[in-house]
Amino acid sequence: MKLKVCGMKYQDNIEQVASLQPDYLGFIFYEKTPRHFDTKIPEISEDIKKVGVFVNEEASTIIEKVNEFELDAIQLHGEEAPFYCSILKTTKLFNKPVEIIKVFSIKDEFNFDVLEQYEAVCDYFLFDTKGKLPGGNGYIFDWSVLNDYPSTKPFFLSGGIGIDQIEDIKKFKKSEASKYCYAIDVNSKFETEPGLKNSSILREFINKLHNRKTMNYNVDEKGYYGEFGGAFIPEMLYPNVEELRQNYLKVMAEPNFQKEFDQLLKDYVGRPSPLYFAKRLSEKYNTKIYLKREDLNHTGAHKINNTIGQILMAKRLGKTRIIAETGAGQHGVATATVCALMGLECIVYMGEIDIARQAPNVARMKMLGATVVPALSGSRTLKDATNEAIRDWINNPVDTHYIIGSAIGPHPYPDMVTRFQAVISEEIKWQLREQEGRENPDYVVACIGGGSNAAGTYYHYLHEPDVGIIAVEAAGLGVDSGESAATSVLGNEGIIHGCKTLLMQTKDGQITEPYSISAGLDYPGVGPMHAHLSKTGRAEFMSITDSDAMEAGLELSKLEGIIPAIETSHALAIFGKKQFKPDDVVVVSLSGRGDKDLENYIDYFKI
Amino acid sequence: MKNYSFKMNRINQKLQEDKKLLSIYFTAGYPNIDDTVSIIQDLEKNGVDMIEIGLPFSDPLADGPTIQDSSTAALKNGMTSEVLFKQLKDVRKTVNIPLIIMGYFNPMFQYGVEAFCEKCQELGIDGLIIPDLPVDVYHEHYQDIFEKYGLINVFLITPQTSDERIRYIDSISNGFIYMVSSASTTGAQSGFGNVQTDYFERIAQMDLKNPQVIGFGISNNETFTQATQYAKGAIIGSAFVKHVTKYGANSVDAFVNKVLNG
Ligand SMILES: Cc1ncc(COP(=O)(O)O)c(C=O)c1O
Repeated sequence: MKLKVCGMKYQDNIEQVASLQPDYLGFIFYEKTPRHFDTKIPEISEDIKKVGVFVNEEASTIIEKVNEFELDAIQLHGEEAPFYCSILKTTKLFNKPVEIIKVFSIKDEFNFDVLEQYEAVCDYFLFDTKGKLPGGNGYIFDWSVLNDYPSTKPFFLSGGIGIDQIEDIKKFKKSEASKYCYAIDVNSKFETEPGLKNSSILREFINKLHNRKTMNYNVDEKGYYGEFGGAFIPEMLYPNVEELRQNYLKVMAEPNFQKEFDQLLKDYVGRPSPLYFAKRLSEKYNTKIYLKREDLNHTGAHKINNTIGQILMAKRLGKTRIIAETGAGQHGVATATVCALMGLECIVYMGEIDIARQAPNVARMKMLGATVVPALSGSRTLKDATNEAIRDWINNPVDTHYIIGSAIGPHPYPDMVTRFQAVISEEIKWQLREQEGRENPDYVVACIGGGSNAAGTYYHYLHEPDVGIIAVEAAGLGVDSGESAATSVLGNEGIIHGCKTLLMQTKDGQITEPYSISAGLDYPGVGPMHAHLSKTGRAEFMSITDSDAMEAGLELSKLEGIIPAIETSHALAIFGKKQFKPDDVVVVSLSGRGDKDLENYIDYFKI
Repeated sequence: MKNYSFKMNRINQKLQEDKKLLSIYFTAGYPNIDDTVSIIQDLEKNGVDMIEIGLPFSDPLADGPTIQDSSTAALKNGMTSEVLFKQLKDVRKTVNIPLIIMGYFNPMFQYGVEAFCEKCQELGIDGLIIPDLPVDVYHEHYQDIFEKYGLINVFLITPQTSDERIRYIDSISNGFIYMVSSASTTGAQSGFGNVQTDYFERIAQMDLKNPQVIGFGISNNETFTQATQYAKGAIIGSAFVKHVTKYGANSVDAFVNKVLNG
């Protein structure tokens, strides 16, 4: 069932509510209500339809407002006659097609005969409670009246609906009366004053309406996933991070931004990436395995989804200098690539040890015009490269944007990176519908370094209880060997790189050195979303050793002709550890290709 | 109780003295694990007004190479919160000037914020500087605990901090404000230019409730004198750490004399 939030008035509040992704937002152009809309509509997602509400208004005024505010629908809330509706239905004066919603007010009973003359001249009906005012009275009518609904036209259910009605709505949804109920319309019951909506109650309502457990797995308004996340940054970074926090959702919702992002993902990255049914692998493990082919993206991994998004963001914020950290060099290459594409200066920090063991990627970055700066402190790997990038940002607070490469760092980074990577699960949904006739698999599986490919793969399934989430960490030489990166097992709560999350540390709070054969999983923490998924039990965490991962990588090469990155091989190795049912649909994020790891594979298997 | 403990706090008393204050940062447990207390004593003996005892952290984001290296070395020497507290057990028998612990949040978080604060009070520590504990998180979760144990929390401001935020930080502070001299990590630089002195002047004219102490980039008599034209005091960190790296822990007098007397 769709949701319409009506009576929007204030710019900030509109943006806040829009971030909850309702299907319709209503603006009342009737002057005799305190919710009268008289400002501008800020840029909001194109997926949200803007509805203008009018009461016995001149048709010319309606046409004017629709064109001025780029409305997608009009709601006629007075005694508009069928003939009047037909004028609006047929006029050519609207700049784009407009849906017409005709309102009828119901007291205790209703004579449905009146609907017939409106059937042909409007797209939806809306049933509201009859009261003193035309709408916004705050009372509910007896929904069982709708048992006699004679039409097949979809309708909106309105009138005094609040969070207390959740159970009634659920009951209603099961009843015959709801057969043509298309949307729920809410207004006054979510207000702190007329026109001002309380977005946290609204969020709770939406979660409950969609049968999500009350648990929210997305970031909250303060930047936390449950108890994890936040922005634990020195004051020197506050202006940068705050600028980003205030702008990222706004920028991402701009139609121009979305268009440019989508276009680059399509033409430059090569999206959509295929969802490939791995027949021989499926036969071997007697279940249905699909591989989401992020390895086929330009530069060979999912990392570029995020760097495309962030470079566009950096440009919108007027930044001219880009910095990044990298471990294996995949994110460094993806960043250097988009900097070349946009003609921006690029500095990549990389641990001295990683520079030595990932020479091809270092050469790639240099060829793309980036400067690679060795991180010489600490253990001289990914964690230290991240420290150096943060220090660079402290020293260059005005012109520089830091493109973090995983779903880590201070808020809003984990959420921003997740949203850019969410294209992965967005595609899985329609691809799976095409191939399996359903959007939801039984499991989604991804490896976790900081957790960006995982966050993108899970994103649209987080609140779908029938989809199991499996997170695969690197166990290194074994979880108890002292040489491991299995954060969910070995870590506990703490602060790393600006967020509260699970991390590997000493009793004294010093961050410890992880180990994994895969440089991309060799990180002592996980992103805060994953810490929350682990703590709440929403995701099942598994740890895979170096040797099991290497074998799984070789197996995929032999069975399917795909050489995966060693990071990805960890996710593939779970089939040897966990038994799935024959008709289970398991989607694995094939996060990257193995070209960068050939040397490792060759050494390991003495090829 | 709140007012009582703050009246007694050595930081507030020191700030009332009619002089410019020299504060020195050093890394605890460096160059050698047992140098901590002797360095504190020598700093006081040679006329330093306030001390920041650096609790080393594995990943000091806001620090330049000098303090990073001293922190790594101190950790290798075996420094921990526990060890530092043991070393400071009797420090108040011989030392009277304000002592502040400066460190990153994670080690305190692991120790337990309340237990950490309680221990600080017991040992006679007067305040804390925690660069990666943001003002809002402090205000929401920890201010009551700090106040319960009579500890002053010192916040940083930078040239990029807005006036509005400076006023907010001023309203939450009850000791001094740590003015970071320029957008940078710690580490000595040579002299201050117009950009910095304009910023110092701008802040001086805001007429804040809390006095300001300038840090980052103060390294010698010249920069100390320059900074204290605009502020109540100045903090030297990296330059001092470099000095003890080169000349050892018993060379404190030479450094302090040179800063104070040129
Ligand atoms: C192919 C591939 N997969 C996974 C990862 C792990 O990163 P994340 O957890 O952010 O997806 C990396 C990181 O370098 C990678 O290159």
